[in-house]
Amino acid sequence: MFHWLEQRPFFFAVMLFLTVAFAGFIEIIPDFAKASQPVVGKKPSTILQLAGRQVYIKDSCNACHSQLIRPFKAETDRYGMYSLSGEYAYDRPFLWGSKRTGPDLHRVGNYRTTEWHENHMMDPAAVVPGSIMPKYPHMFTNLADIATAYANASTQKAVFGTPYDQKGMPKLGTWKEAKAQALADAKKIASEMKNQQVKDMVAAGKVPEIVALIAYLNSLK
Amino acid sequence: MKKMVIGGIILIVVLMAATFFMAGDAFQGDDYINALTMLGALAIISITIATALKYVNQIKNDTATGELADENWDGIGEFKNPIPSGWGIIFIGTIIWMLWYFFIGYPTNQFSQIGQYNDEVNEYNSKFKDKWKNPSKETLEAMGESTFLVQCSPCHGVDAEGIDGKAQDLTHRISKKQVLYTIKHGQHYLNYAMGAMPPLMAQGADAEAIATYVAGGLKGEAPAAFATCASCHGPDGKGMNGMAPNLKEYDETLVKHVLENGKKGSIGTMPSFKGRLNETQQKAVAAFLSSIKAE
Repeated sequence: MFHWLEQRPFFFAVMLFLTVAFAGFIEIIPDFAKASQPVVGKKPSTILQLAGRQVYIKDSCNACHSQLIRPFKAETDRYGMYSLSGEYAYDRPFLWGSKRTGPDLHRVGNYRTTEWHENHMMDPAAVVPGSIMPKYPHMFTNLADIATAYANASTQKAVFGTPYDQKGMPKLGTWKEAKAQALADAKKIASEMKNQQVKDMVAAGKVPEIVALIAYLNSLK
Repeated sequence: MKKMVIGGIILIVVLMAATFFMAGDAFQGDDYINALTMLGALAIISITIATALKYVNQIKNDTATGELADENWDGIGEFKNPIPSGWGIIFIGTIIWMLWYFFIGYPTNQFSQIGQYNDEVNEYNSKFKDKWKNPSKETLEAMGESTFLVQCSPCHGVDAEGIDGKAQDLTHRISKKQVLYTIKHGQHYLNYAMGAMPPLMAQGADAEAIATYVAGGLKGEAPAAFATCASCHGPDGKGMNGMAPNLKEYDETLVKHVLENGKKGSIGTMPSFKGRLNETQQKAVAAFLSSIKAE
């Protein structure tokens, strides 16, 4: 048999290549089919939540807070159920973070409330003694960028096929509709808040950053 | 030949001596892993040199024999000898092992991160159950305090006083304002066996009287209007053995119901802590709360 092979070098080289490549094929090809599937019931962020997400990114929350609960008992005791890859299916970009100076926030919506975030963002040390988190009073006056959030969502829908406007999913619609929806969501958040200045701004049709951020944090479940 | 063997033995001794000189203290102390590693090093030295000697000897003295194959390449021929039987056995063994590993070994023994997590949790939970089967009051209070500091203090404050009204002051049961609010709005979050409390069971001066009496810790003569409350909360306000919320203090049932269902009241919203604390920890939090009660 080997004498026969040794006399046909080209055939031998092709067979050798196929033999070696086989291991590569069975390792690589299944990964193409296993693209990240959203977990059942996962919805993309609404416009207001996306605006809050932009605030989260702008103020570098992800530099100190992770959004990834690892499957260890110590972590699940404190933060809740471990994270699944399908939960990040609509995150663009993902905000896993790489260092925990503060606690993980992946399910912070389960155990903190609007009122708590309001008190905490104004002065963290007043709520959590010894906290080194800086104060973020500017979020109570700066306006959230709803227009960019709408552009962001529209782009994700057009380019990545994020399922906005589908049955049971958040509605995008036209810019006018989206703006009205975001304001309605903001009014709901503001009604649970205590800060009169924020309430007045929302009533006047403006959305401060803190409202958008709280909407985003409450959506982390 | 003799010279080579003697040279080999000298080399072995020199290498062993050098190893012992550099790392001989591995045999001292009671850590047997270090000693084992040293023994391994000594074995490697002797096996390597003995094998090298064998093959050098073979190169020097052996001659090839057997039937020549027909082909030759530029005068270089090839014997038709079969492969050594040891190699053959290992080769076939590898193929059999490959089939086993491909179809049985890998699929049935795959490492699972989530499986490891589940094992960890189950082991911890059963240990926890065994260890705190009959906890004493002191144990429960200590456990309750540490649980409180991790899970509850971010809102209720480390002193449990509610951070200047931002959350419920857990050293007191209920304030007059809260009683009035609950009478006005009812309460349907706690899922007690008695059901939801309807709004506006009492009004005006009656509500005021009830609020003053309940906020004062149900001391002295109950106002006549309290009879409305007593039909569910009991004449002593203690909730008829867990059928309705205890108005006098935070008992186990009340703590459990609030943790499971969350709550919405005059201060704001408390999220549900369902599944975050186990039963012993809920009891512990209740024990801790009754230990810090302000008189």
